[in-house]
Amino acid sequence: MPSGNVLSYIVPMRDHIQLQINSDILKIRGQDAFLTLSDFLRRRRGLVGTKIVCSEGDCGSCSVLCGVVGDSGMQYQPIDSCIRFMFQLDGVHIVTVEGLKQNGELSCVQQAMVDCHGSQCGFCTPGFVVAMTALQQNRPANQPASESELREGLTGNLCRCTGYSSILEAGAVAAEQSDSASLVPAFELSPDARRVPIEVTATCGDAKHRVYSPTTVAEAVDFLSRHSEAEVKIVAGATDLGVQFNKGHIAPSDWLDLNRVAELEKCEIEDGCMVFGARATWTDVLLLAESTVPELYQVMKVFGSPQIRHVGTIGGNIINASPIADSLPFLFVCDAELTITSASGERTVNINEFYSGYKQMDLTKGELLTSIRVPLPPANRNLRLYKVSRRHDMDISTFTGAVWMELDGEQIANVGIAYGAVGPTVLRLKQTEEFLRGKSFTIETMTAAGDVAVKEITPITDVRGRSDYRFQLARNVLKKYYYQIEQEESQSVA
Amino acid sequence: MPSVGKTIPHDSATGHVTGAAPYLDDMPLRNDELLVGFVGSPVASGKLKNIDCSAATAIPGIVAIYTSHDVPHNKFGALFHDEPVLAENELLYVGQPVAIIAAETPEALATARKLVKIDYEETKPILSIDESLTAKRFIGPLRKIQRGDATSAIKSATHQLSGEFRIGGQEQFYLESQAAIAFPGEEGQLIVHSSTQNTTEIQVVVAEVLELGQHQVVCICKRMGGAFGGKESQAAIPALMAAIVASKTGRAARVIYTKDEDMCVTGGRHPYLVRWQVGFDDAGLIQGLRYEFYSDGGAAADLSTAVMERTMLHAENAYYISDIEIQGQVCFTNYPPNTAFRGFGGPQAVAAMENVVERIAGHLGEDAYDIRTRNVYGVDDRNVTPYGQLFTRNHLPEIFESLAESSDYKRRREEIAAFNAVDPMQLRGIAMTPVKFGISFTSKFLNQANALVNVYTDGTVQVSTGGTEMGQGLNTKIRQLTADELGVPYEDVLVMPTSTEKSNNTSPTAASAGTDLNGAAAVDACRKIKTRLAEFAASLLASVEDGLVPSPDHIVFENGIVFDQRKPAAKLEFGNLADRARRERVDLGARGFYKTPGVDYNRETGRGNPFLYYTQGAAVSEVLIDRFTGEMSVPRVDLLMDIGKSINPGVDMGQIAGGFIQGMGWATMECLIYDEAGKLLSHSPTTYKIPAITDTPLEFNCAMFPNEDNIHNIRRSKAVGEPPLLLGVSAWAAVRHALSHLTDDSSELDLTLPATGEEILRCITSLTQNGQADS
Repeated sequence: MPSGNVLSYIVPMRDHIQLQINSDILKIRGQDAFLTLSDFLRRRRGLVGTKIVCSEGDCGSCSVLCGVVGDSGMQYQPIDSCIRFMFQLDGVHIVTVEGLKQNGELSCVQQAMVDCHGSQCGFCTPGFVVAMTALQQNRPANQPASESELREGLTGNLCRCTGYSSILEAGAVAAEQSDSASLVPAFELSPDARRVPIEVTATCGDAKHRVYSPTTVAEAVDFLSRHSEAEVKIVAGATDLGVQFNKGHIAPSDWLDLNRVAELEKCEIEDGCMVFGARATWTDVLLLAESTVPELYQVMKVFGSPQIRHVGTIGGNIINASPIADSLPFLFVCDAELTITSASGERTVNINEFYSGYKQMDLTKGELLTSIRVPLPPANRNLRLYKVSRRHDMDISTFTGAVWMELDGEQIANVGIAYGAVGPTVLRLKQTEEFLRGKSFTIETMTAAGDVAVKEITPITDVRGRSDYRFQLARNVLKKYYYQIEQEESQSVA
Repeated sequence: MPSVGKTIPHDSATGHVTGAAPYLDDMPLRNDELLVGFVGSPVASGKLKNIDCSAATAIPGIVAIYTSHDVPHNKFGALFHDEPVLAENELLYVGQPVAIIAAETPEALATARKLVKIDYEETKPILSIDESLTAKRFIGPLRKIQRGDATSAIKSATHQLSGEFRIGGQEQFYLESQAAIAFPGEEGQLIVHSSTQNTTEIQVVVAEVLELGQHQVVCICKRMGGAFGGKESQAAIPALMAAIVASKTGRAARVIYTKDEDMCVTGGRHPYLVRWQVGFDDAGLIQGLRYEFYSDGGAAADLSTAVMERTMLHAENAYYISDIEIQGQVCFTNYPPNTAFRGFGGPQAVAAMENVVERIAGHLGEDAYDIRTRNVYGVDDRNVTPYGQLFTRNHLPEIFESLAESSDYKRRREEIAAFNAVDPMQLRGIAMTPVKFGISFTSKFLNQANALVNVYTDGTVQVSTGGTEMGQGLNTKIRQLTADELGVPYEDVLVMPTSTEKSNNTSPTAASAGTDLNGAAAVDACRKIKTRLAEFAASLLASVEDGLVPSPDHIVFENGIVFDQRKPAAKLEFGNLADRARRERVDLGARGFYKTPGVDYNRETGRGNPFLYYTQGAAVSEVLIDRFTGEMSVPRVDLLMDIGKSINPGVDMGQIAGGFIQGMGWATMECLIYDEAGKLLSHSPTTYKIPAITDTPLEFNCAMFPNEDNIHNIRRSKAVGEPPLLLGVSAWAAVRHALSHLTDDSSELDLTLPATGEEILRCITSLTQNGQADS
């Protein structure tokens, strides 16, 4: 019997998730639902081709294909199976490296990896094969992936042996072949099954686990209001929570999973604003930004990896409240507006007012971030975004920044500056902005602005860089901005 | 068709791409199997007072917890027996194994680990080479190699420079973390499956620690998911943990480190402090050079003294220096013992030498390439190394010239200078650095190998050696060599798992010499079988009646066919011959043996011939730097390697490209960051950044220098595993070249290694703050 909650009497609920792994259709209940996908594959299914190295989504060795029903049938994307929970996978088709052979023969990607010496020790190889297969799958026919697409498409996979050149060669050879792996989903959830919420529970020793997967925002906030006493972990992409779980930093007993809430997936331009549902993935955001805010596209293109961007969400980036979150300086200088929903209604808050300290924000129990509205930066704003990291791709930032200026001739008419990784929260540099307003746009002005900027920030020394490096970056980015705008103007004049 | 010289895919490639090639943790759990983990020291240095396991033992599913008291012989070590298996009285580094836990489930193991209470008294740790120098805490003796009188030569030279150069460490970052599974056998015997480069070492260490005879322990290694030196000696502790549990509980036991654990408790490439002093003339010709090398050995000897030895034997890199003095000392610190890592001390030597060359070039305002060509070893003279080995078959001058031309070095260098003079946003730099890597273990006794070859009656062949497969393609090459020697198709030969049961008293698969040694041993075994078969075949294929005296000398083994070359029409299939040979009681199995001829080195005197030959090469790297952030990329690399006659060009090219990128990672990117208490902070790929696919140069031209003169080695090939890594230094030197455009005298420019974005920006800032360059 359901535990005294009224709704569950009225609305039928499912107590399991259903998915397909390679050719097997499975119903998952109980403890298995709380395993990571990689553990389930290796421990429960004996599919040990999927390797675990880092357990944090940084190496891609555990990559599998995740097929989700889209506009044109199943769309397959690579994901990191080590940071995906089974309960997040209702209705999907998972294809592991073992499922890629075609009629018992190697697929063209597999064959190309063999022929081009794309494997040495072989431990990362299943992940590369999977990621490369996804690139192949998602290309229009007769349009082989370019080298840059291959490189960008494989940033989520680390190899320590090959130096990657043989893998790139294999990718190029495979791209020339038309017969990519045919991945056949054998089942589809019924509309009813898709509509009803899922609640899976499990008892493990003394511990009880529960996950609730609603299909609407109303169900989600209702669940939160009914369980205000519990520590409910809200999860969307799990690209951070999955890591914390694997490393033993969190062990939640109650989960609210947003993966089935379609209304949170919005990602479109509306009234001169980018409007995102909280669960819009970075892949979706990039697609929108490419044509509307190229600057955002350029900086978010190196956010995580394809595996991370396919599941990581903009809402997660905001609610994770990290001062090094890559999207935040942009959202700050654009005065993004957040919509927060609870059982008692909706409210909005400017992101500049949202954070109050390290991982502290204006969000109470029972509230859910549901959407983000970002006014499109006008063309005359000269927006530039900065991300400095130890490695160009797939790295957490040492420093982030967003700068825009409206110039009136030589004069700075208006300005917005936000920096990340230089304090407990992302910071809007109001004094620096004030200093710059009305000044002439020269390198001397920008150098002097650096003196103001460093007084507004309090960077620390950590594993990603020393504080003096961050101070210097805070100065230099303003100078770099000057030369970027200068160079662009001289080019446009020429 | 012979297979040697052909590009044949890695012999496990199909298994790799389908996920069907199993690694240790892919083996199904046996019913009784226990999962084994450990609890490590919470501090870098301290006195261990008590270990309370009571709460942890009480957790359901915990089968046993062992501390040093439970280990029969709690000492081991690759060179000196100075390392405890489990901490005894002293805590030596953060994470040092203190207690082993054997559990039924991963959940129980995770819970129990948090409940083991370690009571200790913290003492002041030594956390840098400088602190070790102050405290005079050293490992092993100070070693010296000396020729001529460096001090006077420097003094009387026209120019003198001196300084300190710091070189960072590096994590191997093999993808498969340390792993071992032990199965108990009859009468105290143990079978240990280990992800190790050295099955014999695991066998011996397990036997010693558990006080068993070596004959009671078998160590097996099918493959490793990467090793790079990190599993040469340091596979021992996890193997010991599994063996101790299996031996004491009588149950199978599995140890799989997580990546975080692995990075925190195993060692890597040694950080170095190098003090140098050089004297040179107006042309940049080096008159005298003095080096003091100090390496961070960590808290036990491990292989550190051998690593230092290789540093000293590569201190002059590719240059003839008449008067030279090289000192080397391993320092004790409270970090995990540093260990073998591809290059084995060579990379630090090359970096130190190229730093000196760059400084000389900066001082004279010359192209460093010209300084290099003036100092490079001669072909007919100026060709004796500081330790007295004649450097024969020197191809470096040709390689320099050929590479400078193919990479268009001089023109690009001019173009870069012009670019740097006007571009406000970016800096570019270019540099060529060479490598001359000595092949052979510097400990003479390790230069031996044995092999077992079994021919079956269908003509197929199994070959086993002490060499281990870590991705380098050793098994593929041994298959090729064996197939060709017996004249059978490549497909008819299989390389079997490495096991101490088949190959005893083996050397680690290391020093780039895996194929040289094990390949030669396999060929030796094949020859023994062939001699017997030729004798037998001669009697079948020729007869006095036909006018031919049966003669084994005329028997040819080719393409799976055996024939007498005087009467080639009469053929025997190899399988048929084998079957008939067995019926005539001809032995179809053989043990082969090989020892490298002529190598010997005396570390007391610093004199000898440690190497059979030198693998040579050079690389030109170009870098692009953001003047404001210090961020750097390597858009183009041209690389030329002399690796002799390649046994498998596809495999060897993989070693070249992969080795270079690993070296580039060390020289420009990878940073081990510790907190003030000596705890590693960069212990996973989130915080420790190895090169990603976008770091591979867009233009990456790797070529092999055509050379067939290496007559002393198997099939005239040369070892390839380590040497290309040392060329990664060219990217560091290119950064230095880029930065030299910000100053008039770059001899003062102090760029440490790795040249990370942070380090580059530090240099840019200090060079431009005096009113130069931007604004």
